Amino acid sequence: MSETQSTTASADSTEQAPQTTTGETIEETRSEWTEYEFDGQAKLTAEGLDVFYGDDHAIKDVSMEIPEQSVTALIGPSGCGKSTFLRCLNRMNDRINSARVEGSVSLDGAEIYQEGVNLVELRKRVGMVFQSPNPFPKSIRDNISYGPRKHGDIETGWLARLLGRSDEAAEEELVERSLQQAALWSEVEDRLDDNALGLSGGQQQRLCIARALATDPEVILMDEPASALDPIATAKIEDLIDDLSEEYTVVIVTHNMQQAARISDQTAVFLTGGQLVEYGNTDRIFEDPRSQRVEDYISGKFG
Amino acid sequence: MTPVTRKRYQESLDALRGDVVGMGELVLDHLKGGLESLSTGDEALAREVIDGDDAVNEIYLDLEDRCIDLFALQQPVAGDLRFVAASFKIITDLERIADLATNLGRYALSGDEGLEPEVSIGDIGDVAIDLVERSLRAYESGDVDACHRIAADDDELDALCLRASESLARDLIEHEAGGDGPWTAERLLDDVSTILLAVRDLERVGDHAVNVAARTLYMVENDPALLY
Repeated sequence: MSETQSTTASADSTEQAPQTTTGETIEETRSEWTEYEFDGQAKLTAEGLDVFYGDDHAIKDVSMEIPEQSVTALIGPSGCGKSTFLRCLNRMNDRINSARVEGSVSLDGAEIYQEGVNLVELRKRVGMVFQSPNPFPKSIRDNISYGPRKHGDIETGWLARLLGRSDEAAEEELVERSLQQAALWSEVEDRLDDNALGLSGGQQQRLCIARALATDPEVILMDEPASALDPIATAKIEDLIDDLSEEYTVVIVTHNMQQAARISDQTAVFLTGGQLVEYGNTDRIFEDPRSQRVEDYISGKFG
Repeated sequence: MTPVTRKRYQESLDALRGDVVGMGELVLDHLKGGLESLSTGDEALAREVIDGDDAVNEIYLDLEDRCIDLFALQQPVAGDLRFVAASFKIITDLERIADLATNLGRYALSGDEGLEPEVSIGDIGDVAIDLVERSLRAYESGDVDACHRIAADDDELDALCLRASESLARDLIEHEAGGDGPWTAERLLDDVSTILLAVRDLERVGDHAVNVAARTLYMVENDPALLY
């Protein structure tokens, strides 16, 4: 697909479909393509979300509800805004000076873009795993307990009270539980004090997932979590995502459409220009998409 | 025009469509040959139809293989997925039609005393051939209206087949009761059985044509309406 963005029809040709700058008519998006009805509660809701990087309009009027305890995949070509959208969900874009966010994102119905939101608390509830594994150059154990220590959960004895243990025992238990959840425990249980950088790429990524889980999040955002991994490590991460969705709300950005098809419950397709074009059950999106552009994209048939 | 990517994949899909239609044409030839041999008693033609079934089976296996390769290697989705899945099913129906055409050839060899039901086998055969032809064209061009019409017209074929079967049964009973005429009861029984089988086979040809139409409707519009 060309990198050109659609231009809005000029005043004297309001009836015409939008065109690319090459003059090619492109399909108009329809709001019913992104209306997704599901059973259960929405964990995250974006409404009329726009994001600008300086003059660049990276996300255009995106509204979508993300169901809790499920896996939502965000797919689309490079530059379509899917990672930007993901970063809006825990306000990671706040760290980029030129970024400006308009519209609303709510977590369990509470607006996260309002004065007085504690970003540390928000990111504890909405954790993130990145494309390249980025463990701290510390021991495996310290990688897990760093977050809870930073949040004070260990020092204040919150965890110990919760688990009915001494602080030290609580920390041990937290490390084991997090590593178990991330399907890494059996591979590292006898070397918890080794440096995390000595692990393989796939193990490092699962350590990062364990680290995200250790702060007891509700939502886990993943930005291409398996793109740097071999097929076996990828399969482990995919199994893990499946397990996690029983308890957590997982939102994953992936370039690998087969991965999205394999692991997600619902899929949102972003296309060039920062628009959410279609959103729905993953089965439906991959078997019977409504939008021709989405069909062409997922079939790999755009040029 | 948008430049096409995945060129080889696209070419494989186009080739599959063409070759499924090609298989259909061959099967139609066999069906026509089977019917002709049955009505004319042409034994050479009947043997040709029977021997030709191996070639149909080979094409069927080749196409099945290519569909599996497309699933495994290209992971088709959306319209492409429905096209390959529909084709995968349709070739089975075409192969069955060829088997039924082979049956007609066998009946031709088994002899015929010239008994004709109220509705002639030739007339029933023409309706069945028409349904198969139309279902192939519908698949080739993705014509959903044609799919619905084929399903409706198959009811007409079923009605013809029923009338033919009933008239044969009536003939058998009447001749048995009368006892005279050019046929002995035993020869008549053989003959009626063969024609009844031919009628049943042609009715099934129509059902397979409807299956082709049903898969085509699913392929084009993701609409399962005609699938049983």
